[in-house]
Amino acid sequence: MLDWITGKGFRNSLTPRVCAMVALLIGTAAAQQDAGTFFKQNCTSCHTIGGGRLTGPDLKDVGSRRDRAWLVQFLQSPKAMIDSGDLYATKLQQEARGVVMPNIAGMNPQQAQALVDMISTESKLPRSQFAGMQISDRPLTDQDIAKGRLVFLGEQQLSGGGPACISCHTVKGLTLLGGGRLGPDLTRVYERLQGRKGLAAWLSSPASPTMAPVFKDHAIQPEEVLSLVALFEDSAKRGGQDDTTSLLNFFLLGVGGMVLGLISLDALWKTRFRGVRRSMVHKNDRGEG
Amino acid sequence: MTNPTMNLLLFAMLPYVALFVFFLGTIMRYRKAPFTYSSLSSQFLENNQHFWGLTALHYGIFAILLGHLMGLLIPRQVLLWNSRPLRLYVLEIFSLAFALMALVGFVGVIERRIRYPKARTVTTPADWIIESMLILQAAAGIYVAIFYPWGTSWYSTSAAPYLHSIFFFRPDISYLVTMPFIVKFHVVNGWLIVGFFPFTRLVHALVAPLPYLWRKPQLARWYGIGILPVWPRRPSGVRD
Repeated sequence: MLDWITGKGFRNSLTPRVCAMVALLIGTAAAQQDAGTFFKQNCTSCHTIGGGRLTGPDLKDVGSRRDRAWLVQFLQSPKAMIDSGDLYATKLQQEARGVVMPNIAGMNPQQAQALVDMISTESKLPRSQFAGMQISDRPLTDQDIAKGRLVFLGEQQLSGGGPACISCHTVKGLTLLGGGRLGPDLTRVYERLQGRKGLAAWLSSPASPTMAPVFKDHAIQPEEVLSLVALFEDSAKRGGQDDTTSLLNFFLLGVGGMVLGLISLDALWKTRFRGVRRSMVHKNDRGEG
Repeated sequence: MTNPTMNLLLFAMLPYVALFVFFLGTIMRYRKAPFTYSSLSSQFLENNQHFWGLTALHYGIFAILLGHLMGLLIPRQVLLWNSRPLRLYVLEIFSLAFALMALVGFVGVIERRIRYPKARTVTTPADWIIESMLILQAAAGIYVAIFYPWGTSWYSTSAAPYLHSIFFFRPDISYLVTMPFIVKFHVVNGWLIVGFFPFTRLVHALVAPLPYLWRKPQLARWYGIGILPVWPRRPSGVRD
């Protein structure tokens, strides 16, 4: 017993080493799994591992392209790396047609290390679980566009329960007063995200910091994704971007409503008492008060 | 407002400080100084401009607060209403009209207190501060409504979950951290108003004489109305 307390027994036993190894293995597995979940939630909208390029590059064997320290640093702050003039980071931005990888919430040195490890492990597999989603490549029809329009406007609700696109986004010529402007104009998003595959990946798992919390439990379903892709492909073909006249119209309608409101209040209190006792005021003015 | 620590302070801690001060302050003031629970009418000092400020701000703010409350309590129903673009536009235009009305009202009442010395005399520093905060709040809200539409929808999906997370003591600021500056300003100023509420004339909102709406009408008799030498007109609402 004393040996056990002083630790002598441990030194002579294999048990602690086995325990340590098991703990290490479990710990590594857990970190890998966490990195996997993290990757799924934050990265798959722009990256695959072995599935080809989306908005961002295919990450298969990324460890052989750049060293670990660079990757860990880049993962934590892509924009800072680009701003610092790093040549490779700048090249990545150009390849992504100017799209800058956003800072990812929850990214820290440990998480970045775990991600690099996970990507390296997944790269060795014949087919990674992150090889990308399969989206139909059938030609998109007018019916798809019409359905995409309904989904965008919210007339057909997203089956996952997410909010309609129009809440925050606009597309040129879609409706009377346009769509929302909290998020970017999506008229040419089909071009920005480099076509059907990139756009579909983004829609399946929106990773921008504003959309991620809203859609994390309300994923857009594949058939809805396809309809939206059809709508955006069509809008990109038409080109341009939504103008801001709809904002002015909205403001003017609001002002009109306010004026009507004030007129109604005046009418409602038509017989109101309009001043202090005027006779007393006049008396005061005449110096009699 | 992009620093993570600052975000936590402003969106996760400030709300609790503000709510704590609100509840403690309003209760203490009611117990210790019940006769100050009023907005101290100044109608007698100036009554013409008063009407335009007072009614516009109250009807505007009632509608806007009701809208914020509905987004908070029944966000899914609001989204359902907004699922037809025309209905969305109607709701947005009405909301903007009421918000502008509130702003006009707020500007009207503060201008009146600056312009009329009698009204200025009965204005306290707390009045000036809360008035300025309310004007800024209304202006920021209107800016958001116009330049970041459609707020009635995204309030339900981004602001409502944030507020729920605060009220259920599981603060989740991820919905807010990426919002534009002016939205964050509206939120922070909103919490500051909540915290400052107990020390201002706003407490009158908690003791609004609602029973007036359903109590039986009272008949006021004005004796001697005919014997005054000069009486320009009978005050409205007075019957004999």
